Amino acid sequence: MEGRRSPHRRSGIMKMKTKQHILLALRIGLGVVFVYAGILKITEPVAFAGSVAAYNILPYYLNYLVAATIPWVEAACGLLLIVGYRVKAAAGIVAGMNVLFIVLLASTIMRGLDIDCGCFRQGGGKTPAWVAILRDILFLSVALILISARKERRFSYR
Amino acid sequence: MTKKEHSKRLFLEMTVIVLIAAVVGIIWNHRLLLDVYTGNPAEAKSAPAVSREPVHTLVPAGLEQVKDLFARNEAVFVDAREASVFSKGHIKGAFSYPIGEFDAKLAEFRGRVAKDAILVIYCNGFGCQDSKLLGEKLVEQGYNQILLFEGGFPEWKDAGLPTEGPG
Repeated sequence: MEGRRSPHRRSGIMKMKTKQHILLALRIGLGVVFVYAGILKITEPVAFAGSVAAYNILPYYLNYLVAATIPWVEAACGLLLIVGYRVKAAAGIVAGMNVLFIVLLASTIMRGLDIDCGCFRQGGGKTPAWVAILRDILFLSVALILISARKERRFSYR
Repeated sequence: MTKKEHSKRLFLEMTVIVLIAAVVGIIWNHRLLLDVYTGNPAEAKSAPAVSREPVHTLVPAGLEQVKDLFARNEAVFVDAREASVFSKGHIKGAFSYPIGEFDAKLAEFRGRVAKDAILVIYCNGFGCQDSKLLGEKLVEQGYNQILLFEGGFPEWKDAGLPTEGPG
């Protein structure tokens, strides 16, 4: 029976493959979400500055500075996640941003501010803060999974 | 590579990515940022300075221009935001004219503001549309010297200029 793998070992390989596929799907999924979120805001910097201003945290000019930069960071991280280059660094930034977003959203609930989160498309329907928080917790979890994943040969994690 | 070196490298990579993306964003938006910083909306550059000549169109105005008009008491400030927002804070002496109550308040407005008055219309800044819509409706009513203060109440308040109301 040489050359045939034991059932035990075969199931181990299957498990590893499944895990790799799940990681790949998570990585690309998170990447697409962040590229999408970034591009929507890059095309509407003034409206996004308005969304940032609605949080009532920054002085007037800084709202514009945040609106000019954050979407580019989002899109860059999303792109890196999709292409699989510097995945851990990109996932680390995504995780950090999501922690920040969760804190800011929670602050709007505590301060009784009824505003749109400004997460994706600017203007239009209002996404309640708690929905946005749950969504960000999901993104944060995915990012943390990607950071803690061990280096894989096939999908070149770093 | 030890764990410490690994973390250090990861942190360095993260910093580089954030910096590059932020710099690209700033370069991409440099004109907007510069205009906001100097208090001039982009379109204001081609707009003529306020004159007594009728303009017949809506002219965007920056903070400096609006501030001068306020100091010289030469313009009527019109707040296009909802009344509930107006009551929380507005530019000192502004007339509350919510776009949703245009017809209801038109007679009062016409009674108080002459057609040849310079109007400065504002809302919440950041590309809000209400001041523009109100301006267009007032042009139809024969008002012809209308400036749109694009920074709106947020920029005014942030510059420490006179406001009224609890906000």
